[in-house]
Amino acid sequence: MAVTLPRGAVAYEASGPAASGSRAWRRFALNPAAIVGSLILLVVVGAALAAPWVAPHDPAKQSLLRRFTPPMWQTGGNAAYPLGTDQVGRDVLSRIVHGARISLLVGVSAVIVSLIVGVTAGLVSGFVGGTVDTVIGTIVDVWLSFPQLLLALAFVAALGPSLVTIIVVLGLTGWERYARVVRAEVMALREKEFVDAARAIGVGRTRIIVRHVLPNTVSSIVVMSTLQVAQAILAEAALSFLGVGSGNAYPTWGQMISLGRDFVTVAWWLATLPGFAILLTVLAINLVGDRLRDALDPRAT
Amino acid sequence: MSAFLIRRLLRFVVVCFGVSLVTFSILHASGDPIALIMPEAPEADRVQLRVALGLSDPLPTQFVRFVTNAARGNFGNSFFHREPAFRLVVERMPTTLGLTCLAVALAIAVALPVGIYSAVRRNTVSDHAATAVVFLGQSMPVFWIGIMLMLLFAVQWRLLPVSGWATWSSMVLPAVTLGAFTTPLFMRIIRSSMLEVINLDYVRTARAKGVSEWLVICRHALRNAALPIVTVIGLQFGLLLSGAVLTETVFAVPGVGRLIVGAIRQLDFPIVQAGVFLFAIIIVSVNFLVDVLYVYLNPTIRLR
Amino acid sequence: MKRWLLGLVALTLAALAVPLGAAAQGKDTLTIALPSHAPTLDPHMHFERVGVLVNINMFDSLLHRSAKLEFEPSLALSWKALNDTTWEFKLRRGVKFHDGSIMTAEDVRFSFDRVLEPGKEKKKSPQYGNVRAIKEVKIVDADTIQLITDKPFPLLLERLVYFGIVPKKHVEKVGEEAFGSTATVGTGPWKLVEWKRDQHIRLEAFDQHWRGKPAFKYVVFRAIPEVATAVAELKTGGVDIIRNVNADLMPDIKAHPQTRISTTPILRVHYISLDMRSAPFDKKAARQAANYAIDKQAVVEKMMAGLGRQVATVVQPAAFGFDPSVTPYPHDPKKAKELLAQAGYPNGFDITLHSSAVDWRPHFEALGQMLTEVGLRTTVKMWDPGPAWNKFFQAEGKATHGQYGSWGNYSVFDADAVLHPLYHTEPGGWIGKHYARVEGLDRLIDEARSSVDQPKRKRIYAEIQRMIREEAPSVFLFTQNDTLGISKKVAYEARPDEWLWLFAAKPVN
Repeated sequence: MAVTLPRGAVAYEASGPAASGSRAWRRFALNPAAIVGSLILLVVVGAALAAPWVAPHDPAKQSLLRRFTPPMWQTGGNAAYPLGTDQVGRDVLSRIVHGARISLLVGVSAVIVSLIVGVTAGLVSGFVGGTVDTVIGTIVDVWLSFPQLLLALAFVAALGPSLVTIIVVLGLTGWERYARVVRAEVMALREKEFVDAARAIGVGRTRIIVRHVLPNTVSSIVVMSTLQVAQAILAEAALSFLGVGSGNAYPTWGQMISLGRDFVTVAWWLATLPGFAILLTVLAINLVGDRLRDALDPRAT
Repeated sequence: MSAFLIRRLLRFVVVCFGVSLVTFSILHASGDPIALIMPEAPEADRVQLRVALGLSDPLPTQFVRFVTNAARGNFGNSFFHREPAFRLVVERMPTTLGLTCLAVALAIAVALPVGIYSAVRRNTVSDHAATAVVFLGQSMPVFWIGIMLMLLFAVQWRLLPVSGWATWSSMVLPAVTLGAFTTPLFMRIIRSSMLEVINLDYVRTARAKGVSEWLVICRHALRNAALPIVTVIGLQFGLLLSGAVLTETVFAVPGVGRLIVGAIRQLDFPIVQAGVFLFAIIIVSVNFLVDVLYVYLNPTIRLR
Repeated sequence: MKRWLLGLVALTLAALAVPLGAAAQGKDTLTIALPSHAPTLDPHMHFERVGVLVNINMFDSLLHRSAKLEFEPSLALSWKALNDTTWEFKLRRGVKFHDGSIMTAEDVRFSFDRVLEPGKEKKKSPQYGNVRAIKEVKIVDADTIQLITDKPFPLLLERLVYFGIVPKKHVEKVGEEAFGSTATVGTGPWKLVEWKRDQHIRLEAFDQHWRGKPAFKYVVFRAIPEVATAVAELKTGGVDIIRNVNADLMPDIKAHPQTRISTTPILRVHYISLDMRSAPFDKKAARQAANYAIDKQAVVEKMMAGLGRQVATVVQPAAFGFDPSVTPYPHDPKKAKELLAQAGYPNGFDITLHSSAVDWRPHFEALGQMLTEVGLRTTVKMWDPGPAWNKFFQAEGKATHGQYGSWGNYSVFDADAVLHPLYHTEPGGWIGKHYARVEGLDRLIDEARSSVDQPKRKRIYAEIQRMIREEAPSVFLFTQNDTLGISKKVAYEARPDEWLWLFAAKPVN
């Protein structure tokens, strides 16, 4: 496979033995950026999980009297609707809180799909090698030749926009990073004599995978997964902004921005505030992920 | 070196083939292409249509037909516009490519000085500030950046047009939006490649010889950064085009991205296929060009 | 490296130089923003309002309508009914087509025949239904033609107001495809210069138009799907007229020093067409419940700035046959819940409503909410207008449990023009064939449309309105205004027939 740079632009190789657990944890936990990021994440996840109780109003409740109420710090605002209301009088804050659910659900699920596909491909690629490896490598090249957003859009349109389709399609963008890491680790291992020795005495591949490949790749996978959740959230927002979202009863952040765009001259908060929600969430994830990387493998900066 | 290029060329062809396969499969992904191609056809006519359109042929035959047609630029007529899909896509390609190139130029123009400065003044406040900006930039949806800029510059301060691509002023916001989206990417790369190089032997030698710091940086270190930048542009071209699609939608720029998004919502698959295919071929070609440039910029590769 | 950068810059500039093909913006140009373009410029081969608006400025019909809604001579100088089924028209002489040829009776007959396609089973034109009653177009002499209908057809003159006359020889020479896209030729005040699909249609004044030269040398129809963009363009002078201004955006346009609003009531009536083939709307009580659930007045006042009027049925106040004694359903959620229980749904019912009226999305959501509050738990599904929607809603009739939409009657001020398409179940109809099942309604509609005895028709329509008010095949809503945003540099006012008759537009000095 070509030497390619993952997003974030740092050449990433399979690492040596992972930094010892407690030292890594301390490095992470004491870092201010990590603390801030984790706190924000805690709030977002908490809001998403507890949405029905946290949101001040029913996100679908309309009120023609309260259309276009500005956020409470502006004139005409109302403390009962802290972030204002939309074109049919629904509370923006409540909708943002509920929107967190879809974003996180899609983000995490897509990454799980990515993980499964990627790790499997990496293992197969590494262990079997040869033509299979080249084929998988070519598949990666082909897949990466498409603008991922358009590909996702096209397949979602062809298959019909449902939550499952979106999760699977988004999951299929980004799997190659896991494959690359796992494959590199497997190939590094193959060089080692003890593997041949182990195989000679009949130790199964599975044991090798579990005992050697996975532990060495866990830290990179964890870091990549974290950063990938952020990207999946952005991708889902883009899809729903373009109107090819899951068409759910509750709005997603991207969809809120899309709907608010028409009223950008009379109600600036409709398109802006959901974007801040995306920004905070993604930023928090990126911070945590980046600090995790520093903590788990300081060499790779 | 020619062996390297030949291998790359071979790879180019194979990938193009793979691209055709994926594009072909979009239409067949749902299992019933007729439902997507001829939505108005009543059930009774569907069997006939299937035969007439060659959809009852074995898939390999259909695929060969698709590839030979695609090579000639024949993707059928758009359902909505009733004109050849490929032509509609090609007409709008210069707009999209122009937007992308402008954005890349802007991004490099900003990322280069900031990235270099950041690397030279590593771990200072400015470095951290720049890193923070990078983080922020990578955490914002590009379409939101566009809307915010539109809100400020077009609605609030009335300095620039809200949308379109007709006058020079209307190009500013879309280009800045997409550029803002791309800049963090370049900044990181420039910074890290600069860091790698700044303490290398030949640089230190130059310093020892009394060459001014900035000259050292500009001539030697920059050369080193060029390679990763070029590589990243190639690799991330797909990401750039995705960003362009979103930017076009926000600012109503009449490019391919907007055309494809509209076509997807209308289930106008000839345009979707033509557009996706053309984009992919462009990306593959760009990557191939990058590979060639790679050789030019990095002499060590030539020896392989 | 520097060379490479230079190359990139050069490439960028080269690429950018290509698409700068916007229209010149002198005040000899009138620019209109439309949400989209129709798929063709051929006046007979589409049924979209955005297409009609362009066609009426490029093609003439036999009759024209003034802003006061009176018939005026256009390509026909005079007309009279010879009997119940025959009308005779005297044609204007010396009318030139854009290609210089003179319009003859042959062209008129050709225009009708290409829509009527006598002898052919499957008709190509989507407007066939509008003029189907015409059995024959007879050329009496070079200046006189007769339109013979199979039955008395009271709407004939109305339907002729928008029926473009096309040049026979030219269409036969260039073919239908080219005629609708690049070689469009009519007799109207402007002729085609250029059509860039989904970007702009550029027209130039036709010097030899029989009415004389229009005040604007150029007309450009720009396709701007995003509302906010269109409004912004209006404010900066990029367009001069925008349609369908959202009530929420009106104050913004009124306040701007260079723009103003022109609004007038039009025929366009909003409704929710209920699918009577399946539960719950196969039960009358459920349909009536849906009607009681809606607070029409609140929507008109709070979401349309009062620029609309609630209606009792789909028959509009301005249409012939309107009966003011039939009163609108009052807003009574309690009664709605009772009726729903009566229909057998004391715990309510989950329904899905579809719509392609993207500009009215907030209203659609508000209506859905009102229904939900009485137990008809509504999921609103918004579609993009286009072939996928047309197939789903109209060709296959799958928009269960109902569709929210509006109907503009093709600007025909007659009750038939809305009753037939919405409720008649014949296969050639529009949507009635799928969704409506009102006993006896077909017969009454047929009776009313085949008589020219206006008092008799009026009585039948009164009966029909009472019937559909009771049977409630739709949720009856309101009529709207046509609200235009106009640049202060242009003198033009909105018309009650929802047309953009740009010949009447003049620059302001």
